Amino acid sequence: MIIAKGKIYDSKQQDEILGNVENEITETLSSKSIDTETVISAVEKLCCKLKNGDFDDIINSLPIDGIDEYKKLAIRMLSRENIMLKLKTELGEDYLKTLETSPPEDLPKIKITAKPLGVLLHIAAGNMDGLPAFSLAEGLLTGNINILKLPSADNGLSVRIIAELIKSEPSLADFIYVFDTPSTDISAIKKMAEISDGIVVWGGEAAVSAVRQLAPVNSKLIEWGHRLSFAYISGFADKEKELSQLAEHIITTKGLLCSSCQVIYIDTDDYDDVTAFCRDFFPVLEKAADTHKPSSIDSRAEITLRKYTDKLESFLSGTEKAPFKSDLCSLVPCRDSELELSDMFGSVLVKPLPNKNIISVLGRKKGYLQTAGLICSPDKRDQLSDILMKSGIVRITKAGNMSSAFPGEAHDGEYPLRRYMRIVNQEI
Amino acid sequence: MKYRRKLFSYKDAFAVNDTNELFLKAVKENCLYHYNHCKEYKKILDGMKFHPDDLKTIDDLSKLPFLPTLIFKKHKLYSVPAFRTIVKATSSGTAGMKSEIGFCVSDLYSGLKMVLNVSKLRGLFSPVPCNYIVFGYKPHKSNKTAVTKTALGATFFTPALSRTFALKYSNGKYNADLEGILNAVIKYSKSKMPVRFMGFPSYTYFLMKMMDERNIRVKLPANSKILLGGGWKQFYTEQVDKSVFYDLAKKVLNIDDWNIIEFFGAVEHPVLYCDCKNHHFHVPIYSRVLIRDVDTLDVLDNGEEGLVNLITPMVKACPILSVMTDDLGILHDGENCSCGINSPYLEIIGRIGMKDIKTCAAGAAEILKEVNL
Repeated sequence: MIIAKGKIYDSKQQDEILGNVENEITETLSSKSIDTETVISAVEKLCCKLKNGDFDDIINSLPIDGIDEYKKLAIRMLSRENIMLKLKTELGEDYLKTLETSPPEDLPKIKITAKPLGVLLHIAAGNMDGLPAFSLAEGLLTGNINILKLPSADNGLSVRIIAELIKSEPSLADFIYVFDTPSTDISAIKKMAEISDGIVVWGGEAAVSAVRQLAPVNSKLIEWGHRLSFAYISGFADKEKELSQLAEHIITTKGLLCSSCQVIYIDTDDYDDVTAFCRDFFPVLEKAADTHKPSSIDSRAEITLRKYTDKLESFLSGTEKAPFKSDLCSLVPCRDSELELSDMFGSVLVKPLPNKNIISVLGRKKGYLQTAGLICSPDKRDQLSDILMKSGIVRITKAGNMSSAFPGEAHDGEYPLRRYMRIVNQEI
Repeated sequence: MKYRRKLFSYKDAFAVNDTNELFLKAVKENCLYHYNHCKEYKKILDGMKFHPDDLKTIDDLSKLPFLPTLIFKKHKLYSVPAFRTIVKATSSGTAGMKSEIGFCVSDLYSGLKMVLNVSKLRGLFSPVPCNYIVFGYKPHKSNKTAVTKTALGATFFTPALSRTFALKYSNGKYNADLEGILNAVIKYSKSKMPVRFMGFPSYTYFLMKMMDERNIRVKLPANSKILLGGGWKQFYTEQVDKSVFYDLAKKVLNIDDWNIIEFFGAVEHPVLYCDCKNHHFHVPIYSRVLIRDVDTLDVLDNGEEGLVNLITPMVKACPILSVMTDDLGILHDGENCSCGINSPYLEIIGRIGMKDIKTCAAGAAEILKEVNL
């Protein structure tokens, strides 16, 4: 399905539509612009519809566990207050106004205006539902014309959201193009890239490096690559509560998000402390896994198959299963300190990392670091936060909130809205 | 393996109901053989408290312990000495986690009879020579992937006038040569003999897109066909919407929908599935499909979605008689399809787990990224 200028077309018409896009965009750029208020009010209307259950049919059909939580989160994120806060934090109070410099003595004055980059191509990842629409909304908020290439895994939610957005604010139609081009159709994607001033790419290394290869040298690349996150434990403020919140986080995000805990670091160089922690924590993790048993058919199938395979493996090897492992979750104690991807889906690595080694160990993963969920006694919090900040981490939360959304927060250490704009200086 | 011989010599490749008894006997014979010759297989059956003699009626197939494909990725299971497996095939796909399955002479002979019989369905055998365009890897000693073998194998259906490969091995890696292919297509379009395309759907699609873009239209000789294959995975990653594919084939190559034929087969279940004229994959007599409940693993009725369990007594070299794929699918009653074949047909809905997403089609896409247009 394709959306162009507010109309929906069949995928077959892609090349025909793409052939006209450049002229249409030139026309739009020279004759129209959108202001932030238009976008905010469109998003607000969309938020109301979401609240009223207008999207429940499609949302409930998604194979996602804990969907109500996602819906509540989306409603909060799309509220006018939250968007205003985002604009203010990322762009500053006066950023969208034209300012005049007042340089000392009689040096020349200039006017400063923030303008959209122009045309943004969004190449969205498929690991988070609705993310393509979110990326597009950021492009609209900054006044850009947006071309969105949907991920092959998209399930129709994004198209539905975008169509509703245009319906409630038809003036946005000229600023939105959506294509469901498969990633194999390099020539079409290249064409989209050539029209664009900036390319926003979400996804793993393969996606990012593929886009780097096909992007024209003169377009700006804005990469939101995959990140790694971990929990760091050095004592507790309220052990029982903190461990159960960490367990909830691990089970509910399944390790799939950039902010999901992949490794639990223990502030020690003694492996015995690692296994002792596993003994303490495993029952807590099992309990969380039991309360959040997956309901989607493929997760259930995977668990059933894993359980069956483990049984066959035990016949083949004649050994008992690993100590910290159940059908739904597992802890893997390790002797090394490397930050790496866990097996996900309820499985997490536990490793020793004395605080004196934090910077050297995490330094090896620079560019990939995102969230540290810090659990420690209150008196150590500032000092450990400081070390983590120096290591390259861009978010520090309590361990249970590693994947929570905080209004006004940056994205992977940057303010996306700023990257989607450019500053124009005018001599007065 | 006399019952296997009988089954694989049976005339009608889709008479599933008429061959139930024979199929059961062949499975029992195969099961007993592996039980006695593969110690790991015996351990599993013993552990599951199952003996080959427990196979008494066709319904007992559901009690036969199945082996998940992951087991073949972690263990090499053989029932014949290594020197007797003359062909080893590895599943294409995720790096580092490949299943290795071996075949001995009698397995391949059964396979050949099966291929001949199944292919009759779509009139693939013809004395008329063809020009072949193979969208696959040109065989090289370092490439054991099954796809290479099937793609090349299919070029023996009719006498080959020529074979042109899309992926050529040079400087230690495979490179795509689409310009070469395009030149070959233009050349063959002027020939009287039909052209057959064979291999990954994504390549064929990409070639056609390239032609469309450059406004190149050819009318290939009558009876030219596109044969699509490349493994299970092709059929649900749906990189390309099928109707878009069919329309494009008509537009740039003048090949009609009914001359586009899809195959699939997996290394762990090397039975050849070929689509009917309605593009449904009916189960051939060499295979039985059980759809199992995702929680209880109980066998489900036709029309219900579950895990896909595939059974075949084809192979003696490895105990792959009952394997559980990572696929979710539905088995439909044969009567729901108007093509005239009564055997049920399998629809793959999706795949479980996210760690193994990369398919050989994705690999192909990666190589294509290096092609400069």
